[in-house]
Amino acid sequence: MKPVTFVRPADTRAASAAAAATGACVHAGGTTLVDLMRLEVMTPTTVVDLGRLPLAAIERRGDGLEIGAMARNADVANHALVVERYPLLAQAIAAGASQQIRNMATVGGNLLQRTRCPYFRDLGVACNKRTPGAGCSAQGGFTRSHAVLGTSASCIATHPSDMCVALVALDAIVATRSGDRTRAIPIGELHTVPGDHPEIEHVLEPGELITHVELPASPFAAHARYVKVRDRAAFAFALASAGVGLDLADGRIRGARIALGGVATKPWRALEAEQLLVGQPPSRAGFERAAAAALAGAKPVRDNAFKVELARRTVVRALELAWGAS
Amino acid sequence: MGGVVKPLIGADLDRVDGIKKVTGAATYAAEVQVANVAHAVLVGATVGRGRIKAISARAATAAPGVIAVITHDNAPKLPGVTEKQEANDRLVQGLQDDVVLYHDQPIAVVVADTLEHAQHAAALVTAEYDAVPAIADLESDLGAAFVPDNPKAPNAVSRGDVAAGLAAARTRIEVRYTTPVETHNAMEPHATIAAWQGASNLTLYDSTQAIFNVRRRLATMLGLPRDNVRVINHFVGGGFGSKGAPWSHVLLAAIAAKVTGRAVKLVTTRPQMQVFVGHRPKTVQKLELGLDGNGLLTAMRHDTTSETSRYDQFIEQCTGVTRMLYACPNVATVQRLVRIDVATPTFMRAPGESTGTFALESALDELAAAAGIDPLELRRKNHAGHDPETGLPWSSKSLLECYRRAAEAIGWSRRPAQIRAMRDGRWRTGLGVASTTRSSRQLPASARARMLPSGRAVVQAGTQDIGTGTYTVMTQVAGDALGLPIGDVRFELGDTAFPEAPPSVGSFTAASTGPAVHNACVALRRELLDRAVRDPASPLHGLSADAIDVDGGALIARADPKRRDSYAAIVARSGQPEIAVELHTEASRSRGTFSVYGFGAVFAQVRVDEELGEVRVDRIVGAFAAGKVLNPRTARSQLVGGMVWGIGQALHEHSVRDPRTARMVTRDLADYHVPVHADVPHLEVILVPEDDPHVNEIGAKGLGELSTPGVAAAIANAIYHATGVRVRDLPITPDKLIQS
Amino acid sequence: MSSLRTPIAVGTSGPSFVLHGDAGPPLSSSEARGRPWVLAFARGFTPRDPAIGSIRAQLRGLGAILFVVSDAGVWSFRPDDDVELSARASPRLGREIDELAARCGIAPGEDGVFVIDEAGGVRFALAPSDALASRLAEALAAAGRELLGLAPRRGVTRREWSILSLVSGFGLVLLASCRPGRAERPAVAPAAATGGPEIDVVLRINQQDRRLRIDARASLLDVLREQLALTGTRKGCDHGQCGACTVLRDGRAVNACLTLAATAEAAEITTIEGLAEGESLHPLQAAFIAHDAFQCGFCTSGQIMAGVALLRDGRAKTDDEVRQHMSGNICRCGAYPNIIAAIQAARKEVSP
Repeated sequence: MKPVTFVRPADTRAASAAAAATGACVHAGGTTLVDLMRLEVMTPTTVVDLGRLPLAAIERRGDGLEIGAMARNADVANHALVVERYPLLAQAIAAGASQQIRNMATVGGNLLQRTRCPYFRDLGVACNKRTPGAGCSAQGGFTRSHAVLGTSASCIATHPSDMCVALVALDAIVATRSGDRTRAIPIGELHTVPGDHPEIEHVLEPGELITHVELPASPFAAHARYVKVRDRAAFAFALASAGVGLDLADGRIRGARIALGGVATKPWRALEAEQLLVGQPPSRAGFERAAAAALAGAKPVRDNAFKVELARRTVVRALELAWGAS
Repeated sequence: MGGVVKPLIGADLDRVDGIKKVTGAATYAAEVQVANVAHAVLVGATVGRGRIKAISARAATAAPGVIAVITHDNAPKLPGVTEKQEANDRLVQGLQDDVVLYHDQPIAVVVADTLEHAQHAAALVTAEYDAVPAIADLESDLGAAFVPDNPKAPNAVSRGDVAAGLAAARTRIEVRYTTPVETHNAMEPHATIAAWQGASNLTLYDSTQAIFNVRRRLATMLGLPRDNVRVINHFVGGGFGSKGAPWSHVLLAAIAAKVTGRAVKLVTTRPQMQVFVGHRPKTVQKLELGLDGNGLLTAMRHDTTSETSRYDQFIEQCTGVTRMLYACPNVATVQRLVRIDVATPTFMRAPGESTGTFALESALDELAAAAGIDPLELRRKNHAGHDPETGLPWSSKSLLECYRRAAEAIGWSRRPAQIRAMRDGRWRTGLGVASTTRSSRQLPASARARMLPSGRAVVQAGTQDIGTGTYTVMTQVAGDALGLPIGDVRFELGDTAFPEAPPSVGSFTAASTGPAVHNACVALRRELLDRAVRDPASPLHGLSADAIDVDGGALIARADPKRRDSYAAIVARSGQPEIAVELHTEASRSRGTFSVYGFGAVFAQVRVDEELGEVRVDRIVGAFAAGKVLNPRTARSQLVGGMVWGIGQALHEHSVRDPRTARMVTRDLADYHVPVHADVPHLEVILVPEDDPHVNEIGAKGLGELSTPGVAAAIANAIYHATGVRVRDLPITPDKLIQS
Repeated sequence: MSSLRTPIAVGTSGPSFVLHGDAGPPLSSSEARGRPWVLAFARGFTPRDPAIGSIRAQLRGLGAILFVVSDAGVWSFRPDDDVELSARASPRLGREIDELAARCGIAPGEDGVFVIDEAGGVRFALAPSDALASRLAEALAAAGRELLGLAPRRGVTRREWSILSLVSGFGLVLLASCRPGRAERPAVAPAAATGGPEIDVVLRINQQDRRLRIDARASLLDVLREQLALTGTRKGCDHGQCGACTVLRDGRAVNACLTLAATAEAAEITTIEGLAEGESLHPLQAAFIAHDAFQCGFCTSGQIMAGVALLRDGRAKTDDEVRQHMSGNICRCGAYPNIIAAIQAARKEVSP
């Protein structure tokens, strides 16, 4: 790691100002930052620790829920209100990482976590995300874990978060503060696809801090499921995952949510697939049509072609399980 | 005075090092508190083959806290680095030239006062290279495969007439299997603390399975007399074969300590552990099997190709099992190598058997399916009553009993013969079987037994405990030989100041160091007895040796138990601080006329989600027979651990190199998957009792690696039984199941 | 030379060391294993001081070892009354001694005394930086002599008490023969850790406050292992992928390798060394032994800490739930089934 100066601001305004400085990175749970600093993939000269900021609360906000950015992943997954009203979120978080990492990682940190692409993490090879214009070593290399959706010629790195898939399906709003300015960013607009600038992963400005996440009231609690397929039974990133919710009324699908993980460069909402389901009675055939639509734009490469079929089947499985849940 | 003493050997005892391990007090190599130690970090090459054109240490040397930066430009010249003395020695890279042989090869050592300073400075070292294309995979250069010369263990062997046997077969199959590159990934990273005294004495605190190998190799490479190098390692955090030889980092730690005049601690990183501390090479295996109308094998041909480095040779001996496991008159095996641009592979838990049995036991299953025979019945029919390769009788073999007991435990009789016939809700389930075997050797070993004035014994041997339970088992052996309770015996290992014992590899330790400890303790007891009967001051004066028993730390006249002399009294009267015996034990001679192997049967029950391709192991039952079991508790743990390795081999483990550059892509434990808790169900071990009078003085064959071979095949066979899908390329990951 | 230093406190593990010097075999504190011993930094010491003789005679029967670090080198007083200069002074030995002294919280050239009991725990620690000047030494020496006549304190056997009193007395006599004490070192002001590249922190480890100067980048894991010699927390991967470094932070299982030590102030950190209560093992530690839930032992500290957290949390109950929840702790030896059995067996004794 490069030598760093360490600051621990006492309030959000001071934190925002410190984080806006050149060479500053914020430290929340440390599970992304310390990992990447040790590899020198991230090289801040100032670490702004958010540990003193009072941003960990999880509480009702009107019909919905407000989750502080510093709330620990484990606390969110175990919270009674989350389990009862947003079970998709609880399942998704519980499916990720390990007990230890869930205890350390924060909501804000999880939203901004970086890709696990092995070429991004290896300073011995070229990476456009680390060094714009250097080239993408992944393409043409070993790409079994890489994305089939949202890719570009510059980057095919997968977004690894489980929590974000659920938040995307639940129409979360990400609230931020930068100095005196606040904004409310719909989560679908928070993350960007690589395009020609894979070094840019989200729309936040320097010094703009996530303060909390708002979840609107959700009609999907009764029929929601997160399904994650991976190479071993726990503690592994998704080969493909699907977070779905169904709002059923009078034997028909009144509303549907389908989001994908492990297969895209950002947490992926499958809007067209959702539209195919609305108004239909739930059926396997309908689910398969929706799944096919969700993967319609997929651009596989040699080693990850299986993900297209696997992701389709994962969506179908999640919808079937959500339909059966009560 | 007590009655009959229950022997310690065979008793189900707590490990004697248990308290240290559960309280964190066990000290592994990097944890020895060497005063004023400096920290070393390695810099790795970023090309796969070529030469270093220039390497710049300027920025690194100027960084805070840096003591030295050593490259090939300024490293001491050590002619001994290119010498091998024994075939199993591994050549390492010690900054002796500008040649790059593989990606991540150490090209510099940075030494600093703190770990953070060393890590940061290492990132400041830069290098330019003249690189040439590097080959990552043996399959891209199969044309260059060669059969290595090895008079001691020929790589092309045949008996009978395989072509005729295949022609005469009613059922014939020809199949191809591959096993991937695997890496050991012990939990404890390879680590060395090197401390010189004066110009030519070196102490190494090194994480190793082979302290005497480390001593010999480092002495050779550094040009020192062997006695000038001392290697100490009391606890090893796993080795599995990767710590059987010293790798580059050990030499580099010694060089760094010499150059800086400081004790130097060097701990390898996980990415380094994927590359230059040995690995199991990839294998491509072709099998042709023939079966007659009675279910008897008529011919077996096994042709394997595996990889080695360009600068050294290692062969994964896959075909050994094919030559000895089943009765078949016509067998031909060939082992070939392809040189590629990687560091040299090495032994990895059950080397040869784990890869060879995957292919052989899968092929037998395919043969059984083609012939319409139950796969267990096929194995029983072809059971070999003596070693078909050498013609020698087995020293003992209980494989049929293993089949019987494990089959009963898993309920083989309820297994439908057809595939795709078992379900559990959404899951398809299946049952598979495989045989397992592992050769058992005994190497010469020495031990020292010391009786102290307190009547307690200290027994010492230069062996290692890599988790196998050596501390405990040797304490039991010594306690029984001396007639002492376990609390009165302390066994010490892990120091080359102790008598020499073999490395803890090859499941040797119980069968080699065990007899040595036993014999040294018996000799010590005899020495104490002889002194007593010669000594007029002893109550046993004048008795003959065979009239004296031993119990609870005392020698007792059998005819008159009131006449007794304690070990403590004997030592006290001697006027010496202790009485000690050191003894060397050679391999048991009766072994030479027998073929010595451990055997077992492994049955696996799996469930498969056909839609998503996920496999879960529900149950594995293994029955194993390996002679005398010295401690059933540690034996069971070893056998369970070996089965977990088999699960990893079957479903998870795969080291991947970039096909264009040969640079390792799976660089850490997030990308190289070993089984986690959720992957491992309850695993059942059946210890089949086996009495083997020929193998050695204590009747133990060693079982550290017996339970890994066969597990991957049993799982693959069970997956086939569940789904009808035969996967021939490990690991069996979801993509391979949904693509079929 | 690194300025990192921390005092050894009563109740913690004694300072182990291996000194190599320039000649002769290494001098290791492990010689003292299983007996009480004294480590004294007494720069002006020689064995000819007359008071030493009578104390030595009494120590002979107790099997204690004394290591005295002086300007001439390191003296060893062995139980068989053998006194030798085990390591002769040299620049290299001097540097090794300075580093060891720093580890004990003593500045170069300063004096101090540590008494470690048979189990390896520090029973007595005296360093001039604790503001005890030499004029107090006489009073303490007298008190030491008095201890010999007093009854043992609760929880200490008579024999232990005699040993400790004698070695304390010996240590104090040594101290009395030392140079006059130095001025008090200014205490490190408790600060909210800020700044860099080095910062001062107070970490609460196993219910003890440890004042440290650390590199701002240092992980809690490296501070534990390299500065505090609490090596029971193991480094398996340094990237949060194996769980070997699991400690409890305010009762929750976390990876020490991904925890910046600077962020751990105001947290209650429990390591494997802090789990047992004196001589009695935590029920989960005992269960691990009974169920042979380890082989090489390297992952064991992390497994136990994660298991303790799981049991205290109370949510994971069935074998499958426990397996899922423990999957952040990798065991390459494959002791998994026995680990689960140990956790389930200890469940009755560890309430949420």
